[in-house]
Amino acid sequence: MYEFSPVAPRVARVRKRYRDTKPKVCIERFKLVTEFYQNHPTLPPMIKRARNLLNLCERMPVVVHEDEFIVGELTSTYHGSALFPEYAIGWIFDEIRSGELLNRTLDPYDMDQEDIDYVMQFEDFWSKNDLSRLTDDALPPEFHDIVGNGIVTFGDKGTGAGPVGHFCANYDKAIRKGFSAIKREAQEKIDLMKGRLYGEDAQREQFYYAVTIVCDAAITLSKRYAAECRGQAAECGDEGRRAELIEMAEALDWIMQNPARTYHEAVQCLYLYQIVLSLDGNLHGLTFGRVDQYLNSFYESDLAAGRITRERAQEILDLFCLKVAEMNKIWPSFATMAAGGYTSGQLITVGGIKKDGTDATNEVTYMLLECARRLALHDPPMSLRIHEGTPDKLWDIAVETTRACGGVPTFESDKVIIPALLDRGLSLESARNYCLIGCVEPGGCGDDWPANGGPGQETFWRIPGAVLLAINNGENPMPRPDGQPQRQTGLPTGYLYDMKSFDEVLEATKKQIEHFIDWHVSFCSVREYVARHHMPLPVVSATMDGCLESGKDVMYGGAKYNGTGFAGVGIGTATDSLVAIKYMVFDRKLCTAREFYDALMANWEGHETFRQRIMKEIPHYGNDLDYPDEIAEWISKVITEKVRSCTGPRGNHWSAGLYPVATHVAWGKMTWATPDGRRTGEPLSDGISPIQCMDTSGPAATLKSALRIDHRHSANGTLLNMKFHPKALEGGGKDKLIALIKTYFDLDGMELQFNIASSEMLRDAQLHPDAHKDLVVRIAGFSAYFVELHKGLQDDVIRRTELDLA
Amino acid sequence: MSSDPAGTIYDIQGFSVQDGPGIRTTVFLKGCPLRCPWCHSPESRRFDIQLSWQSRRCIGTAVCGLCLVSCPRGAIVPAEGSQSTDTEDGLQLIRVDWDTCDDCGLCAAECPAGALSMWGKRYTVSEVVDRALRDRPFFEKSGGGVTISGGEPLSQAEFTLALLRALKENGLHTALDTTGFAPWAVVEKALPHVDLFLLDLKNMDGRAHNAAVGVPNQPILENARGIAAAGGKMQIRIPVIPRFNDSGGNLRALGKFVAELGEAVTLVQLLPYHALGVPKWERIKHDGPILEATAPSDKKIGELKAILEEYSLTIQVH
Ligand code: SF4
Ligand code: SF4
Repeated sequence: MYEFSPVAPRVARVRKRYRDTKPKVCIERFKLVTEFYQNHPTLPPMIKRARNLLNLCERMPVVVHEDEFIVGELTSTYHGSALFPEYAIGWIFDEIRSGELLNRTLDPYDMDQEDIDYVMQFEDFWSKNDLSRLTDDALPPEFHDIVGNGIVTFGDKGTGAGPVGHFCANYDKAIRKGFSAIKREAQEKIDLMKGRLYGEDAQREQFYYAVTIVCDAAITLSKRYAAECRGQAAECGDEGRRAELIEMAEALDWIMQNPARTYHEAVQCLYLYQIVLSLDGNLHGLTFGRVDQYLNSFYESDLAAGRITRERAQEILDLFCLKVAEMNKIWPSFATMAAGGYTSGQLITVGGIKKDGTDATNEVTYMLLECARRLALHDPPMSLRIHEGTPDKLWDIAVETTRACGGVPTFESDKVIIPALLDRGLSLESARNYCLIGCVEPGGCGDDWPANGGPGQETFWRIPGAVLLAINNGENPMPRPDGQPQRQTGLPTGYLYDMKSFDEVLEATKKQIEHFIDWHVSFCSVREYVARHHMPLPVVSATMDGCLESGKDVMYGGAKYNGTGFAGVGIGTATDSLVAIKYMVFDRKLCTAREFYDALMANWEGHETFRQRIMKEIPHYGNDLDYPDEIAEWISKVITEKVRSCTGPRGNHWSAGLYPVATHVAWGKMTWATPDGRRTGEPLSDGISPIQCMDTSGPAATLKSALRIDHRHSANGTLLNMKFHPKALEGGGKDKLIALIKTYFDLDGMELQFNIASSEMLRDAQLHPDAHKDLVVRIAGFSAYFVELHKGLQDDVIRRTELDLA
Repeated sequence: MSSDPAGTIYDIQGFSVQDGPGIRTTVFLKGCPLRCPWCHSPESRRFDIQLSWQSRRCIGTAVCGLCLVSCPRGAIVPAEGSQSTDTEDGLQLIRVDWDTCDDCGLCAAECPAGALSMWGKRYTVSEVVDRALRDRPFFEKSGGGVTISGGEPLSQAEFTLALLRALKENGLHTALDTTGFAPWAVVEKALPHVDLFLLDLKNMDGRAHNAAVGVPNQPILENARGIAAAGGKMQIRIPVIPRFNDSGGNLRALGKFVAELGEAVTLVQLLPYHALGVPKWERIKHDGPILEATAPSDKKIGELKAILEEYSLTIQVH
């Protein structure tokens, strides 16, 4: 078995501080951004965003905490959350007024009263200037007619609340090239065109200016941290720490501006660039990419030169991971139900193959997994790329890590993902260099603007809703939250009781699916049109391959590759719903369509025996049965074909995916009863997993069912979450789990993730949270400390069929 | 193969990992000639298809009650007292009068929630083989295959032999999980088609063996010797049952016996008694005494393991 190294005492101290500190909202960023926006209403957005960032890098407090070696903060306090008013801030005013802000049971935060008072003064200003409002006002009138459809998620107001995220900047370039060189390149472009702005040159020149400004911003911040370290060194009584602070200062003075020279400098640069990106861009799925590939050459040359030991390198990486874990962002209270656990989605990818096709595993690969396992960290989340030549030792540490740390890492198959990305147009080298973005979404590493999360959060699309509308003449049976009467928002495809055959049901479902995918794409197009204008991202574009060459920001299609991601939620629920109709009404004729329809529309009230019979009788998806699996296959085909035919604003094709982060619980709450016997408000199925507890034939059968879905054409990711009893991994169980994953990948499965926990243990953790403070579980798109989750999500994990192998 | 015999099976499990090498599909046959009071799958003992009742799934007689009217023998009655507190919301549940029930299955057909269900189903050999072949890719990666378990599979000799033959014809690895209590003639026929026997040995003291499980140990021990002599491979499984077979003397006798089987034995597994099977007894008609004891301590198991190791055996504790 893999032998993990011990945790250094200072790392243990930092970890304790991380786990013991209640996060606090810090308003430093809010103050600076508000002041800047108020003073500069006339700046063009491209320059405004760049100068806003420069202002932040010049004036944000720089803090170096005790025991830290890798530095950078978004706030003045440890483990704090900054505010991002220019994106969407209305919810915080609401939560302050209702008192909810300081009384959250989930993801609780502190905030000082004077800060609350300060923030409240600007409600009027931001309610007219944040991206959310700007999007609301730009939404064409026809969109209001389909609000409340139950499939595409948006409302009349607050439509743009989700920030633009889900990408992987080119960290490798930041580390190896530095921002001085990037700035010089941008300046040269300006010099070539200035005084002769033909065609679209004016826009390109603005972009290049913005790049020079953000390069200055990055360098400035680094030098300020260097100065802070020097200042602390001067006052430090401990000789060892003083030397260390000076070492830190020297590194910080050098990096960002220049190419990193050592492993330490590379790690610090990686982290500080992340801080700069986050200061600008709202920490939303800002993905680290292939960290083991960025760092290993530095580690090896330091080792060869005798500058570092394995222990020291591990310690630095531990401290880096704890810095990432510390970063967090306060979400609106309702959003913590869908995610929660202070999760920030800064995904790290390890393993896989290199650009030349050889195995990419290196010492840093192991060290990163060691960080997760030894420190029991769910953040940063990690994805492990698996290929034919993945070493046994890497399999071993990966399974040991996920055993202790649910869902870390996720397992991803190069065999399926690389061809899927080639299909998206990536070159062979770029496809081989892919990383996972956000939760499980494949994308290029530093050369791709995949918009895996769509242009914000609204990429989720509820498949069961399409089935409901298909059999209810385009009307969502769920009452509208505003109390308004329901209305027809979809196509008038008729009612179940008038349908003569199951083919009519399928035909109606297909129509609703295609219709609402078009609406979804339309909505995202509007959002991106607004977001690109107001929120270009020169700080990302500065490193992203393709942008400097083309003179275009990533938001304008400057990256070498472009895409937009789609995430279908609840295919298991939708499948079993169609199965139920087919089986009960048309094949077995156990009831009439009218009886079925009436019971469903009554949310099964007064029809409990009927509901039970449906759940007992029908063949369920997830058991390797053709009857349901053919329907799952059909749904996935209808969705992927339609999605892939759509185009986005950057001349890109859309790519399909089937994963939910953890929205399947929150959206279950907003979804009417479904034909599979699910009651109104109960969770939807998650990813491509079967409905919770309906996969009774064991994991191999579940995987066989999941393989009926077209993974190869789901380039935006699939997700399959399995729970194993800890006993399952005893004895030879570990090798068998590995064989299970290998077989799934051989048969063209894309992704797998595991919780190794027993239901008894999880129930005990609900009762005695303190005794299980460090229990990490995977929900769907992310992992979190179990005790910090919303009860609904906790129950969802418990309900998941426990594959006990005894 | 022209004939396609059928057998009574109570479960087929995919991805079972404790029943032999690799990822396996295990087929559980119904019916067993032994009556071990510690049995953890009591529903496997009778040969016929029988009614089972799981209170957890019942939705209560207030909304349902279909079973009450469906039983021609009046064997189902509303439960009094304790059973209805089984669920948090205090449903009015039912009780099966096992003495009156004749396992006709009418109530199970009516029960919408699957609370009443029939244990056991007839399968033909080809149905089982088709099911197993679906898992073939998983067997190949892991070096796994199919395990036939029970109950006592050799009690349904014709079916089991045909199934083993069919599995081998399809190139699958086979394991047979057996009590060893079967005529040698049957074991002999099985031998060429079994890659690995998972053989239970309980007690070397014939009288104690007979008294506890209702059959003598002699045929079992002879079959073990026979398998070894014929070149078969065996994993020996020893359940450790408090006060029945957990004495040092018995373990020494077992160790000696197993050592004499020589290279035929690839592994010896100790399976400490646990009480997890006890609640299952509530679901079916009782047909023998039930043991409720505390599980042996890790220390005790360690001692027993050490004894077996004296005989140069490879021991695994489950
Ligand atoms: S199985 Fe038993 S309880 Fe059920 S209907 Fe038949 S006799 Fe009655
Ligand atoms: S038929 Fe089944 S669910 Fe209904 S009362 Fe009887 S046991 Fe309970």
